[in-house]
Amino acid sequence: MSCCEGGSPQPETPEAIGRRAFLSRAAAVLGGLIGAVLAGVGLGYFISPALRKKVGSWVDLGRAGSFKPGAPVLVEYTQRKRDSWITSESRSSAWVVTENGKDFTAFDPRCTHLGCPFRWHAEEKKFLCPCHTASFDINGKVLGGPPPRPLDRYETKLENGQLLILPKKQEHA
Amino acid sequence: MSAVYLWLCERAGIDKIWETLFARKVPHAKGPAAWLYTLGSATLMIFTIQFITGALLAMSYAPSPDHAYDSVRFIDDHVLLGRLVHGLHHWGATFMVVLTALHMMRTYFMGAYKYPRELTWMVGVGLFLLVLGFSFTGYLLPWDQKAYWATVVGGNIAGQTPVFGPYISKIRLGGEDMGAATLTRFYAIHVLVLPALIAGAIGVHLFLVIWNGISETPKRAGKQVAP
Repeated sequence: MSCCEGGSPQPETPEAIGRRAFLSRAAAVLGGLIGAVLAGVGLGYFISPALRKKVGSWVDLGRAGSFKPGAPVLVEYTQRKRDSWITSESRSSAWVVTENGKDFTAFDPRCTHLGCPFRWHAEEKKFLCPCHTASFDINGKVLGGPPPRPLDRYETKLENGQLLILPKKQEHA
Repeated sequence: MSAVYLWLCERAGIDKIWETLFARKVPHAKGPAAWLYTLGSATLMIFTIQFITGALLAMSYAPSPDHAYDSVRFIDDHVLLGRLVHGLHHWGATFMVVLTALHMMRTYFMGAYKYPRELTWMVGVGLFLLVLGFSFTGYLLPWDQKAYWATVVGGNIAGQTPVFGPYISKIRLGGEDMGAATLTRFYAIHVLVLPALIAGAIGVHLFLVIWNGISETPKRAGKQVAP
């Protein structure tokens, strides 16, 4: 199967690779390469949600020194949430407790029983829930009532003297 | 020959399909003129890339004035290889128009549209118009300043049509003014209507190319050219 260049037949070269075979192989290799790169790019784009790290957003609750030891306070804050290209803001709150002014605990402000907002009762030194008379101590431990577990906590950290918390979405409403 | 290949040959005749599609006789073109015969395949290649990248982009695009721009930014900044996929689609769109035009000029100046390939030419003209349709509707989707005002200008041009101008304008915009309905309208045309039409037209065009074969390079005056 020799190719005709200008009408004169070329001699067969059995030991060397023929022009036709070389070209079709080169086309297959180059085409395969281009196809592989395109497929790789497409696959990377498609599976990228699986590789994306979940970034929680830390919320600044103010100077750590402003919290009095032994006196839980309900701090209100605005949280920015990102849902792909949609950013939304929502008002939320958390109970901040510190015993020594250095270690901080932040409680989800909803009772672990049915999600009612509880209050700190300063005289009794207890968190009391008005819905079903649940009570928790300053560390969130259940003292009485129907709650199935201690108060839910948010992660906290101190940065340049500011108290930051990482509010979690609640699976149990 | 592998067993799978033989199995497929017996049941689907892929050897004969391969022979018809790829091992067919083509004109003997030499030198730079031979490259002109690659323009159609190049256009088909770009179309395939546009189809794939377009499907990927649509996964993270929101055709709503509130979110269109932000979703495109999201693709560029937060999706893995998003900027590359977006870039391929963006540049592919330009190359699509350029290659289609070059392919059309090649056909015209070589007289390849003549008997018996008039129908191939007619379908080709339809394909060219569809490509321009893709280009016009796709241009709006990023919903940035350039996209917005280019579409306003394009709309004003269409609106100058005697008698029917105002109606054309309203149909095109999906209302009196450019807005949410314009974007969804353009998006639907770009990703649903035009792809369906172009897929059919490409099928017919390619069938005719195979059916009639490729025309020979025109010779100098006085010599007969095989049709």
